[in-house]
Amino acid sequence: MIRILARYSILFVLTLLVLAVMSFSLAYLFPGDVLANLTGIVPANDEQRAALEKQFRLDRSYLVQFFYYMGDLFSGEWGYSFTSGIPLREEIGIAMPATIELATYSMLMALVIGIPLGYYAGMRCYSSSDYIINTTSITTYSFPVFWFALLLILVFSLQLDKAPLSGRISLLFDVEPVSGFILIDILLSDLENKRLAFKDAMSHLTLPTIAIGAISTASIVRITRRSVIDAKNQPYIAAAMSRGLSGGQIFFRHILRNALLPILPLMAIQITTLITNTMIVETLFSWPGIGNWLIQAIYQRDYPALRVGMLAVSSLVIMLTITVDMFNRLIDPSREKYEHAAI
Amino acid sequence: MPMLDIKNLTLEMHSSEGTIKALDKVNLSVSSGEIRALVGESGSGKSLIVAAICGALPTEWTLTADRMSWNGDNLLGMSAQQRREVMRREIAVVFQNPQASLDPSATLGEQLEESIPSEFVQGNWFWQRAQHRKKIAISTVHKVGIKHHKHYLSAYPHQIPADIGQKFMIAMALVSQPTLLIADDPTRGMEPTTKTQILKLFTRLNQTRSLSILFVSHDLLAIASMSHTMTVLYAGQTVESGRMKHIKKRPLHPYTKALLDSAPSFRKDLPPKSHLPTIAGSIPTLQHLPIGCRLGPRCPRAQRACVQTPVVRKIHDHSYSCHFPLHMEKL
Repeated sequence: MIRILARYSILFVLTLLVLAVMSFSLAYLFPGDVLANLTGIVPANDEQRAALEKQFRLDRSYLVQFFYYMGDLFSGEWGYSFTSGIPLREEIGIAMPATIELATYSMLMALVIGIPLGYYAGMRCYSSSDYIINTTSITTYSFPVFWFALLLILVFSLQLDKAPLSGRISLLFDVEPVSGFILIDILLSDLENKRLAFKDAMSHLTLPTIAIGAISTASIVRITRRSVIDAKNQPYIAAAMSRGLSGGQIFFRHILRNALLPILPLMAIQITTLITNTMIVETLFSWPGIGNWLIQAIYQRDYPALRVGMLAVSSLVIMLTITVDMFNRLIDPSREKYEHAAI
Repeated sequence: MPMLDIKNLTLEMHSSEGTIKALDKVNLSVSSGEIRALVGESGSGKSLIVAAICGALPTEWTLTADRMSWNGDNLLGMSAQQRREVMRREIAVVFQNPQASLDPSATLGEQLEESIPSEFVQGNWFWQRAQHRKKIAISTVHKVGIKHHKHYLSAYPHQIPADIGQKFMIAMALVSQPTLLIADDPTRGMEPTTKTQILKLFTRLNQTRSLSILFVSHDLLAIASMSHTMTVLYAGQTVESGRMKHIKKRPLHPYTKALLDSAPSFRKDLPPKSHLPTIAGSIPTLQHLPIGCRLGPRCPRAQRACVQTPVVRKIHDHSYSCHFPLHMEKL
């Protein structure tokens, strides 16, 4: 147990280190002058340039610069945005939870709908209901996410006028950000019309969640179905049947767990797709999340923001992936056989 | 009357090259209280017969039989529910590969406890019943010769050696107190001492509880020492069956004779360092089965008539299917 935790923490730290190196080197990879990229100031004369280089330690070796960069990251001094002048840490602190919120609801939708459907299709594999579920999920999976989101906007917002077009909540409601999650914040706030605010936030959430969730649901249905069919054909299921166990016993005691174990690592891979899809959909729905924020930063050539934003997003993805994989490693007894962690 | 009575069991697999008869008119019966050995090379269809009896065959294969009855009830005509009841209470199976036949995500104790039929468990409340279940599990595990029950009952299948896994399979089969035990190569991969232990256990159960055993194996020495009757199988056809001592003394079918000759322990006249007698060739694959008697191309006594499948002939309780049997001149 401790060895597993230690191994995964080492993996986590090393991956983060590689990411930090890449994020650090971005300053030198961006087009243009390094100093101008980092500070946003084009020095007027050589004295100012020398002073700025000294302040940002550009006169020292790369290793020392990297060391100071790491120090800044850990102490929470992530720099300032060129465009707004607000510390980047605050900006990311607002944008990141919005993205996580959207991704969480989509993942929940994918799990709640996808896994039962996948089990149903897998248990009745090659029947007509299985074919219907499978065809639907393959079709949904093939939709490009931006096209699907646009389609939803076109139908539900513009034609039917059932859902708002963009944003997180109507401007009428002034919700104090505490946790960063809009629904939780509304519940925590002391607005007098909480119910209305909640309803409004839900209506803003629905379309982007469906746009992202549909594709994740489709892939989870397919993964689950395959895994259930594989588990069903194992010799131990035949052995359990010949011991005369009932269908329910076989399903709940043997198929359920064995089909779920291979799904978990595949879901960890889904997280990457999920976050990417979320960032695309955010832009379409003007959702104030990290994806939208990064796109704006790109437009404005806000290099410090890009640097730290990229690090924040990739750290989030890595953290989730490694956590899911570690969880899977802890609950799957047969994986003791494999000595090394695999990502 | 035999408990398990199978007559002309035929199993057809459908492939792109047409249908293949993996089992061709197999006859097998197990009487109450006897140990019947089912012998054959690998690939002769022994495990298919076992799977056919317990109904674990894939549904896309066609299984037909003139008679396949269990205590007079037709096994093929039963509903899935009735079949399940029979498998739960009366027939128990030990499969060939314990590592694959045990659920990798559940402990051995859980799997053993779920095999206990609920009428054996005493107690009104669930904790009393769980306790009693555990007690039954421990005593069964001791019975098959596993000493460290604490360690093994909470172990997962990948953590145990193969022979313990095989013993667990036997324990799971015995815990429902069946009347027929089908043991598919139960001593595979065991050391001689453990093997003897298991065979002794089988013999004892047969004598004290009059448990009938269908013993599937190619370990002729073990079979000869414990079984009463024997059925020899070659490439999906029954070749010869009868009482063990008759077959051992005077095999009628050339294949049975070759099989017995190839086991050094049955030959006292074998000179040291000499080759064991064998018949040329190897068992045909399912795609290239010969017509008629499937031993035909390899048989030393084959003649033109052998392209037709020989009918089953019987002398008392010794039946064989061969056109030109051995020892017939004397009879």
